[in-house]
Amino acid sequence: MSYLNQPDYVCYVCNCGSLKPISKIYFCRHCSKIRCGYCVCQEVDSHYCPNCMENLPSSEVRLKKNKCSNCFKCPCCFQTLSTRAGHVPLRVVPADGEDSKDVKTTPKKVYYLSCSLCRWTSRDAGIPDQSMATGGWPEQENPHTSRINTLIDYHKILASIEKQQSERKKFRPKHPYMQIAMFRITSAMVRKHIGHPAKPTNESTDQPSPAVASTEVEELPTDIFTKPVEITKITTLEQRLQQPDVQTENVNELRPQHRQLLVRRSQRCRVCEHNLCKPDFCSQSAKFKIQLAAFYHVPEVRIVTCEPLRPGKSSELLLKFCNPTQHQTQVVLLPLDTPMTPILTLVDEKEEVKQDNAQQGSESPNLLPSIVRQVPVVEETKPIKITANADVVLPQNCLILPRRDDAAEYDDTGDTHNFQDDPKFVIWRKGNKAVIKLHVTPHENIEENNNQPVVIGFVMQYRYVNTITTLEHKAPQKLDLKVKLYLTIGNIVGSA
Amino acid sequence: MLRTYEGIRFFSDKQMVILDIGSAYTKFGYAGEPTPRGIIRTEIKCPDTKKLRRIYDYKDTEDLYQLLVEFLHALFFKHVVISPKDARIVILESLLVPTQFRDTLAKVLFRHFEIGSLMLLSTHLATISTLGVNSALVLDIGYKEATLIPIYEGEPILKAWQALPLGGQVVHELVKCFIFNWCFINSYFFNRYLMKSLREIYPNVDITEKLVEDIKVRTCFVTTLERSAKLGTADAPKPPPAIKYPGVKSINIPGEIREEAFEVLWERDNDNLSIPTMILNAIIQCPIDTRRTLAENILLIGGTAMAKGFASRLKSELLTLVKSSHYSEKLKIQTFMFHTAPSKPNYTAWLGGAIFGSVDLPLRCLTKENYLKSDRVPDWVSLIDNQRDESTVCET
Ligand SMILES: [Zn+2]
Ligand SMILES: [Zn+2]
Ligand SMILES: [Zn+2]
Ligand SMILES: [Zn+2]
Repeated sequence: MSYLNQPDYVCYVCNCGSLKPISKIYFCRHCSKIRCGYCVCQEVDSHYCPNCMENLPSSEVRLKKNKCSNCFKCPCCFQTLSTRAGHVPLRVVPADGEDSKDVKTTPKKVYYLSCSLCRWTSRDAGIPDQSMATGGWPEQENPHTSRINTLIDYHKILASIEKQQSERKKFRPKHPYMQIAMFRITSAMVRKHIGHPAKPTNESTDQPSPAVASTEVEELPTDIFTKPVEITKITTLEQRLQQPDVQTENVNELRPQHRQLLVRRSQRCRVCEHNLCKPDFCSQSAKFKIQLAAFYHVPEVRIVTCEPLRPGKSSELLLKFCNPTQHQTQVVLLPLDTPMTPILTLVDEKEEVKQDNAQQGSESPNLLPSIVRQVPVVEETKPIKITANADVVLPQNCLILPRRDDAAEYDDTGDTHNFQDDPKFVIWRKGNKAVIKLHVTPHENIEENNNQPVVIGFVMQYRYVNTITTLEHKAPQKLDLKVKLYLTIGNIVGSA
Repeated sequence: MLRTYEGIRFFSDKQMVILDIGSAYTKFGYAGEPTPRGIIRTEIKCPDTKKLRRIYDYKDTEDLYQLLVEFLHALFFKHVVISPKDARIVILESLLVPTQFRDTLAKVLFRHFEIGSLMLLSTHLATISTLGVNSALVLDIGYKEATLIPIYEGEPILKAWQALPLGGQVVHELVKCFIFNWCFINSYFFNRYLMKSLREIYPNVDITEKLVEDIKVRTCFVTTLERSAKLGTADAPKPPPAIKYPGVKSINIPGEIREEAFEVLWERDNDNLSIPTMILNAIIQCPIDTRRTLAENILLIGGTAMAKGFASRLKSELLTLVKSSHYSEKLKIQTFMFHTAPSKPNYTAWLGGAIFGSVDLPLRCLTKENYLKSDRVPDWVSLIDNQRDESTVCET
């Protein structure tokens, strides 16, 4: 799959307007539409630690503030710290701050944190060693936590007073939705509430002591004009921001931080709300529970070769088509200006569900009855950022591609299919793959030296058998779907 | 509202997300928490060119939309770690945020990420909730600009607002100028440096914005008013020690850069304006009976306010200025008092949002349903003037 890393020569146009290679698009079987990372609804599926790979349920994630309790990162270089064991004489510090004479006892196994990259250790930072390998490392708490909690409680009370007032008196703030009004109301409530002699008991609990301003401010250290500075002892802004409530300037005061958890995402079709991609819960697994990559549903187009391109001159272009599905498909190439509405060609039963024109404007045929759905939020489609600058002669014939047969892949006995292919059009065929020949003519105005790549575009119409409907006790639908493709086929060599 | 596919989920139990998207750094976290979960640069790798781009350096609305989609995606899934769909979000916004920016931001949040509700809070107003007082003069010195709004008894005195393009960015430009030209065409330093520029001494050192910021944060400070007055004169004080700066090729940061980089914030511009005059001019524009309270309740927020020596310089500048002929007649104020919020100045506004976000204020939230109906965000500045009709009220 090395071609996954190459520049995107063949791009499919998603329904949202994004241009993506086939490896990066999804196919929603419920809507029979192409979707991509831009236009699907992405959700956090599971949390895991990138270091110890532990999976955490979301309730615990919230409690642990999205951090792994076992893994720490280096406060200097942000690599994962490792726990080291060492033997030191156990020192017992006298309890009541009396005589600080150390009492030596037998050596004991102790643990400290160390960075293998920058050599930072918890010992350098003056963090006491731990007797357990698994932790017990001191946690730093924001020193202002209780003050902030008091302020939060106070504001909650204000809000509830306001709510009561508005319910009881049918009182409405003049501008109930803007922050200006909120403060006006809040302050009015403060005044009223404090000045109300009827409720003196609540006063002390409701109103936290207001902050006191001071004429004193932090002065510049006097030795700053004379003291030589060693830059390596001063933290960088990046290091400071790892611990926002401290933001220490002194390297020795940096403390190891818990490693942040990463998430696995799942993708959901925004129109029908079905999952398009859902990873396995186990973080070690690269498997997916649901994976509706377009790779398994939409014919793949690859560029085989292209003759040297000259402005205004026709060149041969060979494209390989591959049918990844379990059903035979037929591919028709149409000009770019073809309307993109899908056509329901066949229903394999008498009970015909005719797709009427009214539905063409809407996003998709609704294949899901009786499901409570939110009204999909519509995002404007992106303008397509690429334009074709070469003409391509599209064949009238349709190309039939047999179903994928994994067993036949290794069968060299030759194809048993007997298609009436036009040899000028189809020049090679094997199993579910075929190579076709097209003629492209780059526009006259492309010049060789401005490095403008030659781009062609066409609409690929392909037959798709929708087996999702069988789950709803309906016969499989056969749809003729369309997707726009843009192919970057090369650069101009020489002039006309 | 519940969705039945794959089990029942309610969206109301989601924690409120607080975002303060500053022009240099974005502060993010959850309501009710005392510290932001993180502070990251407001920039994203452009998916087409793979270059880092600042969100605020957008070309047009379309460009901004795509930048915000990429940036917020990374923010939600890598940093805040929450499914944005149906999330409740509080955004701190500056007084000067362009309509284009806030409208595009709301559109991306509602239309692309399908968030559940949005509460826009003014940076200055939200900030006072960190103090438990209802009057304060809030001066926010960030990266691109310094903005000020006095708030008296919970009400902003909007006619007195001040803004100047002074902040981290101009300091960076000055440091860069020092490095590239060594003599800066500036009243203080003109003709002082006829030696070689750092650029000439170290031609192979890549002077990136990041390096400039690092030099500023780690080595520069705001000098005293006393020394500042003498800079560039005959009896200029001896500069602070130079700092040997590590790197692939170590460079030497002269003491002059360390001491003078922040001077640009105090220098009067063509209109005679600077950071300290913002405070005095604002107070003058406020009603007489509010002035003393405001002068005695100054709160400095924003990353640039964290520069070493900033507050003490501001205080001495103010005390000197009020005695000048320009102000002494108009202002009868002798004392200035400063607040200390229970936070670091670069995330105080975020903390204000986190306090407000923890309070149930359904009337102030713009819900998805209401946004989709009206397709716009009410503008709080024009609301004060009662210019807008109330038809777009997002009531619950
Ligand atoms: Zn898409
Ligand atoms: Zn871990
Ligand atoms: Zn390290
Ligand atoms: Zn769908």
